Amino acid sequence: MKREATADAIGTHERASATPVRDAASHAPVGAAPSLPERLDLRFMQEWFARIVTTPESEPAPVDEGSALALATPSATLTSLERLEIYRRSYHARLVECLADDYPALQHHLGEEAFDALCRRYIARFPSTGPSLNDFGRHMAAFCRGEALPEPGFAADLASLEWAIVLAIHAPTARVITEADLAGIAHDSWPGACLIANPSLRFMRLEYPANAYFQAFRTGGNPVLPAANATNVVVYRTGTSIWRMELAPAALVLFEALAGGARLQQAIERAAPLLDRAEDIQQVAGWFRSGVASGLFVGVAAD
Amino acid sequence: MANRFNLPDLGVGLGLRTVHYSHIVEARPTVAFFEVLSENYMQTAGRPLDYLDRVADRYPVVMHGVSMSIGSTDRLDRRYLAELKALRDRVGALWVSDHLCWTGVAGRNTHDLLPMPYTEEALDHVAGRVRAVQDFLGAPLVLENPTTYAELAGATMPEWEFLGRLAEQADCGILLDVNNIYVSSKNHGFDPMTYLDAVPYDRVVQFHVAGHTDHGTHIIDSHIGPVIDPVWRLLGAAHRRAGGASVLLEWDAEIPGFEETHAEALRANEFIGGRA
Repeated sequence: MKREATADAIGTHERASATPVRDAASHAPVGAAPSLPERLDLRFMQEWFARIVTTPESEPAPVDEGSALALATPSATLTSLERLEIYRRSYHARLVECLADDYPALQHHLGEEAFDALCRRYIARFPSTGPSLNDFGRHMAAFCRGEALPEPGFAADLASLEWAIVLAIHAPTARVITEADLAGIAHDSWPGACLIANPSLRFMRLEYPANAYFQAFRTGGNPVLPAANATNVVVYRTGTSIWRMELAPAALVLFEALAGGARLQQAIERAAPLLDRAEDIQQVAGWFRSGVASGLFVGVAAD
Repeated sequence: MANRFNLPDLGVGLGLRTVHYSHIVEARPTVAFFEVLSENYMQTAGRPLDYLDRVADRYPVVMHGVSMSIGSTDRLDRRYLAELKALRDRVGALWVSDHLCWTGVAGRNTHDLLPMPYTEEALDHVAGRVRAVQDFLGAPLVLENPTTYAELAGATMPEWEFLGRLAEQADCGILLDVNNIYVSSKNHGFDPMTYLDAVPYDRVVQFHVAGHTDHGTHIIDSHIGPVIDPVWRLLGAAHRRAGGASVLLEWDAEIPGFEETHAEALRANEFIGGRA
């Protein structure tokens, strides 16, 4: 089993007080303003301001030149509407940047323009409700499946893989066991042994070789859309490094079973039907040792 | 110790950014303090916290948030505050700051620092919420003057009066961002020295400086690039009036390597020492 590192994945958004830089203020489509009460109280102002800011830039915001004056004063260089538009652009730009941080390979696959459009639809569909942007992109894989993309299945697989990396970054840190930790387990205790999974483990059954695409992208290549070809991948973290490892179908079942709490004997029995030949049972032992050495587990309990 | 809260003058520090994590934990450069973006270490149990723990073990840390939404008309988010307090206690942050703004309403978060109307109604509203947050945290909240691109209609006072009165009314601290004053002064057409004249300096706990981007018709607080001299001079003037307070450089986009970023921060010493 070959594993590949994604050590420089960030997974944390530099959510600072900075404003994303975009083009200078411009005239936006003018929309229909709400009927204004006699006095704009704080709640009304905030709700209206928020509606303007969060309205997709492809649509007219609920404000016109006249009503904008009721909300914001003009400056020497910008109209009230242009000043409000700065906030609308910043809102969308910031969240697109956030999704681009999480999904760089998806952005590469779709191209900047299509990715930007996808993100804007995502932002409209899943507006942020939490204080942190760490989990803002969590719906992207499912969202891709329902979008009119060139190959939505591949986009969804790629998004699943990239989101698994984000999840691994934010999963609790645990000290992984090594083969030395297994040395004290008696031979006849092995069938009943239970392993505790690394809390960052994420198993994926993908329709496309998304991991190979991702690896090519990360190493500076210019991968193109691959043909459908089922692959299994596990993503996890040890220390500061994120790892991706492709797994044979039987290995996936073995590790999933162990991570789910099955005893070693039970896990092997679940994986066995996927093995081609009887001698491949020897391969299971190799996978197991490799899985332990790679950091898939953080504890072991044997009777 | 110039401020009324007895919060220390830590010197010239730097915002902790992910691109510098490895360098900081491996090379252990000499830095007076780090300011961490609170929300980057919330809703996570993993690598960001690991790095932060290692940084906090070695350096003084202060926390700077962007999602408290102190001016919102939504209820205060108690779960957010609890997580904020837990993070502060975990890393031993010397103070917690956020912005004089609102970030969302009706349960949504725009993740932007949206402007307040500077009215008596808003002043009373924010002051009450600041007091509630301080009661919860058991410590003064430090509020930063934001950059604004629009002045909301109906204002009955300028921002500097609102900030000063708020600080007195709520008994909170001030994080004075002199780049924000500069940017807003250009966007709205006021004299930044008028702003500086109105600040209650015994409440100033910290200063911010940063770069910005001039679009001609308006300036964006982009935190890109080096700090321009007029902003440094504002820092010098404000720092002298405060009798000293911690200074921090924010550089949040197109971030250069650690040494270059830190060298830019340390330029503050040329101006707060009175030599510029």
